[in-house]
Amino acid sequence: MSLANSPVLWIIALFIIGMVIFQAIIFYRIAKEAAPAAGLNQEEVKRAARTGFISSIGPSFGIAIVIISLLALLGSPITLMRIGIVGSAATETAAAQIGANAFGVDLGGDGFNMQAFTTMVWTMCLGGMGWLLFTLFFTKSLGKTESKVRKKNPKVMAVVSLAAMLGAFGYLLTEQMVNGLNYAVAAVVSLTIMVVIMKVADRTNISWLREWSLGISMVFGMVGGSLMTTLM
Amino acid sequence: MALENVSNTAAGKLSVESSVNAMTGMESFHNKSHFWGRLTLLLVIIASISLPMYLSFVVGAHPGWGPILGGLLGYAAFIGVLWFIEPITYFPVLGVAGTYIAFLSGNIANLCLPSSSAAQKAVGAEPGTEKAEIAGVLGISLASLTNTVVILATVLGGAYVITLVPESIQGSFQFVLPAIFGAVLGQFAFRTPTYGGIALVIGLLVFFSPVPSLLKILTTVALTIALIYYFEKRKDDRQRVNQ
Repeated sequence: MSLANSPVLWIIALFIIGMVIFQAIIFYRIAKEAAPAAGLNQEEVKRAARTGFISSIGPSFGIAIVIISLLALLGSPITLMRIGIVGSAATETAAAQIGANAFGVDLGGDGFNMQAFTTMVWTMCLGGMGWLLFTLFFTKSLGKTESKVRKKNPKVMAVVSLAAMLGAFGYLLTEQMVNGLNYAVAAVVSLTIMVVIMKVADRTNISWLREWSLGISMVFGMVGGSLMTTLM
Repeated sequence: MALENVSNTAAGKLSVESSVNAMTGMESFHNKSHFWGRLTLLLVIIASISLPMYLSFVVGAHPGWGPILGGLLGYAAFIGVLWFIEPITYFPVLGVAGTYIAFLSGNIANLCLPSSSAAQKAVGAEPGTEKAEIAGVLGISLASLTNTVVILATVLGGAYVITLVPESIQGSFQFVLPAIFGAVLGQFAFRTPTYGGIALVIGLLVFFSPVPSLLKILTTVALTIALIYYFEKRKDDRQRVNQ
């Protein structure tokens, strides 16, 4: 369908992607500016940024692989704008299907015409906007609450922050592990390697080990899961 | 309404800059984060509305408001509750700036949070501190940048980019999520293995409980916070008694 690849769609999609890039650069700069006030020296700023980069390579390729299936379904510009912001591949595929159904057709099936395509785009754009609107209007009040709690009792923030992270990943990990023995092996291998790396890094004080810890553990976990699959 | 908010923040920012000495570095960081965070979100919101508007009213492929409303309601019924739950659940970990970045670029659990916590660990910052907040933002902004560049390359280069990766390696990417999540839990649990164990057990119990699936992460997070808070408090009380 040529409509799905029209120049105007490309321009809007590239503008949105440009905003994401612009925002990341701006936040990097203002965080760097605030670093001394938060007790980070220049070396630590570089180390944190480098770690963010190294740790995101694996997950980014994981995302890229899923994108391929969407390209055929939605066309390049829509895929770019939907995956570039907010959505994950699974959510967007479901949203596309919901939109097509709302027009009374199946995604890419008979009768999937321009109007059906437009309904689908409306559904994905309006649906994804919920997160953007909530974040736009309510992050400020969440931030105020956080500052109040932190001023009153900094230890509460430390506990809540640690426990929230553990809780979220405790659940996410469970959800993955029940997928099968190979998934469980991938998770356990990755977790174990991470603990070993962190212990070694603590004892020897090799700081690059901490920067690579997520990347290394992920590779071991993925290899572990694949090996288990061939054994099964 | 939204425009007004942003321009108010813009005015606020000007006065911030003129009285920057009177304000701590972190307060100024938060003000700037709100300004830039809201501005970028607003522009993206306008752009994402303009795309379907263009299809409907310029191209003339308007399907009528009925199907559009139907689609939106279907979406809202499907995961609309996450619009509120996710930003609140992840806020204690992401902080102000992290929330703006993570919810614009998406992929929170599989990209933003892991990169943020890895960056915090790399500089030895304790969770919940200002040092952790800034280190996390540096980590997330680089992660968002990397991810966006990879997505752009994939879409522009199409399937070709993926064919550069051997098939056997591509296959192992089906385990990318358990590998990421396992590593993140390990990263946090290695100092406090008991708490890691608690989180995993609560996660397992909630997973098999009849809690509606969209509320399961929130339930696990809330229970884990409550339990760990209780344990920490008891530890503190005991220390006080011993002293």
